[in-house]
Amino acid sequence: MRFIVSTSILLKQLQAVNGASSSSTVLPILENFLFEIKDGILTISATDLQTSMTTSLPVESKEDGKVAIPSKILLETLKTLPDQPISFSVDDSTFSIEISAGDGKYKLSGENGEDFPKIPVVENASSVNMQASVLSEAINKTLFAVSNDELRPAMTGVFCQLSSEHVTFVATDAHKLVRYRRKDASSDSATTFILPKKALTLLKSSLPGDDVGVSVEYNNTSAFFRFGNINLICRLIDERYPDYEAVIPQNNPNKLIIDRSLFLNCLRRVVIFANKTTHQVRLKITGSELNISSEDIDFSNEAHERLSCQYEGEDMEIGFNAKFLIEMLNNLGGEEVLLEMSTPNRAGLLMPQTHDEHEDVLMLVMPVMLNSYA
Amino acid sequence: MMQAAMSTTFRKIIHIDMDAFYASVEQRDHPEYRGKPLVVGGLPEGRGGVVATASYEARKFGIRSAMPSKQALQLCPDALFVRPRFDAYKEVSRQIREIFSRYTDLIEPLSLDEAYLDVTHDKLNIGSALEIAQQIKDAIRNELQLTASAGVSINKFVAKIASDINKPDGLKFIGPSAIEAFMENLPVGKFHGVGKVTAEKMKKMGLHTGADLKQLSEDELVRSFGKTGHFYYRIVRGIDEREVQPHRETKSLAAEDTFAADLTTIEEMEAQLDRIAVLVYNRLEKHNLKGRTITLKIKYSDFKQITRNRSFAAPVADLETITTTAKQLLSATSPGESKIRLLGISMSNFGEVVTRQKVEKISAQLKLF
Repeated sequence: MRFIVSTSILLKQLQAVNGASSSSTVLPILENFLFEIKDGILTISATDLQTSMTTSLPVESKEDGKVAIPSKILLETLKTLPDQPISFSVDDSTFSIEISAGDGKYKLSGENGEDFPKIPVVENASSVNMQASVLSEAINKTLFAVSNDELRPAMTGVFCQLSSEHVTFVATDAHKLVRYRRKDASSDSATTFILPKKALTLLKSSLPGDDVGVSVEYNNTSAFFRFGNINLICRLIDERYPDYEAVIPQNNPNKLIIDRSLFLNCLRRVVIFANKTTHQVRLKITGSELNISSEDIDFSNEAHERLSCQYEGEDMEIGFNAKFLIEMLNNLGGEEVLLEMSTPNRAGLLMPQTHDEHEDVLMLVMPVMLNSYA
Repeated sequence: MMQAAMSTTFRKIIHIDMDAFYASVEQRDHPEYRGKPLVVGGLPEGRGGVVATASYEARKFGIRSAMPSKQALQLCPDALFVRPRFDAYKEVSRQIREIFSRYTDLIEPLSLDEAYLDVTHDKLNIGSALEIAQQIKDAIRNELQLTASAGVSINKFVAKIASDINKPDGLKFIGPSAIEAFMENLPVGKFHGVGKVTAEKMKKMGLHTGADLKQLSEDELVRSFGKTGHFYYRIVRGIDEREVQPHRETKSLAAEDTFAADLTTIEEMEAQLDRIAVLVYNRLEKHNLKGRTITLKIKYSDFKQITRNRSFAAPVADLETITTTAKQLLSATSPGESKIRLLGISMSNFGEVVTRQKVEKISAQLKLF
């Protein structure tokens, strides 16, 4: 098998799918890209068996064939070559590969493409279409809240709820929760599934910046994303997602409106003086004054800051992990944010003060019990 | 004399050391072992087995702790070899500590069979440290049918040396007025931290007893022996202000050996690692610890020293892991190229990993689900 392609075009495609390949010692062939040529179209696949990505591009070739090529050595070589035509010549019986580019010749040994795991196809799938920008924003808003706790696998992914009115994405690690809802996307059939974190991380980095359509197909076990010439297929997390609606408090009489970046920068300073394990900060609201303080008794560190805010409700004092608040404020847009609270032992709700007409973001954070409420 | 100690009231420190602990427990629990040369440790048939404890009957044949079991068998072909039952020893150790706690809460266990007690202010107002030591020995004999040796003095160092003097079943008191004379007559090999190699070095320098060491200035001692020089300087004058620390954390446990003849082949090195790993393993068991980092120490014949370590995500304490890790670390040093005069294995990083659950507990972070 022989083919000729441009180094820069090939490198770009390889980088798009490389994230799915795995450094598996159990199945070393997963450290390879599968190259398959059919009718002058080269399809490149990478997989870790849970998540697979494929991409295709036209190449100059007279014959069909397939071979598995070690991904690391190929990527490193292409990165150092200038943009020029590069030719691959593969021995169909030994799978040794000879690469020629400019005045250089490189030899490496590949593996039989037939040994590469089959990239699954999604059968009996339902489908929904979404704009790349919508999907991208949904991932950005939720991924940070996904749990890493492998003992509760349901929470290690993003919960997707499709309905005829909207699409909802939910992520939580049991301390914080994000619900991101889009009214400009919908599905004819109502359904739910959990997408694993790795697939979403890969999607986030490979989704195009320009607004192209993404076709999402899914069945009970897998989801399939298609955009441009890239396909991504992943296994769904087969678990029951916790009943998140039940933990969103409905009656929150204490409402605080504050400038997002002032609040965020204040927390970034105050947390420096907080206990390094708990990152605990104290929010004390009296009238239209918000006092944020922290202390680390072990080192005699403490910080106090005063911010002005709009506040409606009774004076109160509540503790939070500042790291959580910082992550959430970082991921919320808008100039001002609304923090709704009820009591110091119930979740606080954080959302932008003004909503985009198509999107609805709600973040939830559980407080830290303070030793003393002054 | 005692510049530091004179100005204050003397502390009363007891060092208790069980006699041939593992072997005595075995002989107590198995009457058929009594009066016989008994070796607790690895069996001589196995590879790399070493003696953990030898009964006094076995010691008469020259069998000592840390000796390869094969060698022990050669010294005494009639010796009985039994595997250690660490759980049984841990239970006895707990009972011994219960006896200590009748007299004081300032107990610093060094291992399952050894502890320092500070009885300056004892709970029963007995007042006499010598009397307390005798009562503890009696309680251990009557309640546990075991014997212990006790050393009584005004600091840890002298108390420890004292407990060794009339072993087994000994009791030795070295009072403030006797300390300096006692230290002067002590052979250098008996000083805490002086192994056979340092002892050899001291002898070459003409230092045979505490009195010889005392002739040297602190600077000279530090120049010859590094940081420990400071310690030798003070200790030979009977000064040891280290407190009895009830909650002292063990930071690392190690075993190492300097070889009479340098090791040249990988087979020799691996055989020694097999043996040293067992020593480390026994000490971990003795202290009831698991560690996350295993360190291999190598000193070459030119005295150049290197260490290599590997850490694990979870604490380990099994012999297999210690042995294989040490050998892997060795194989990464291109062994065989240089002669080796010392090999050592140490285990560290005992500190508990701060788990997420623990953080949640400290911080009282509330949960949604």
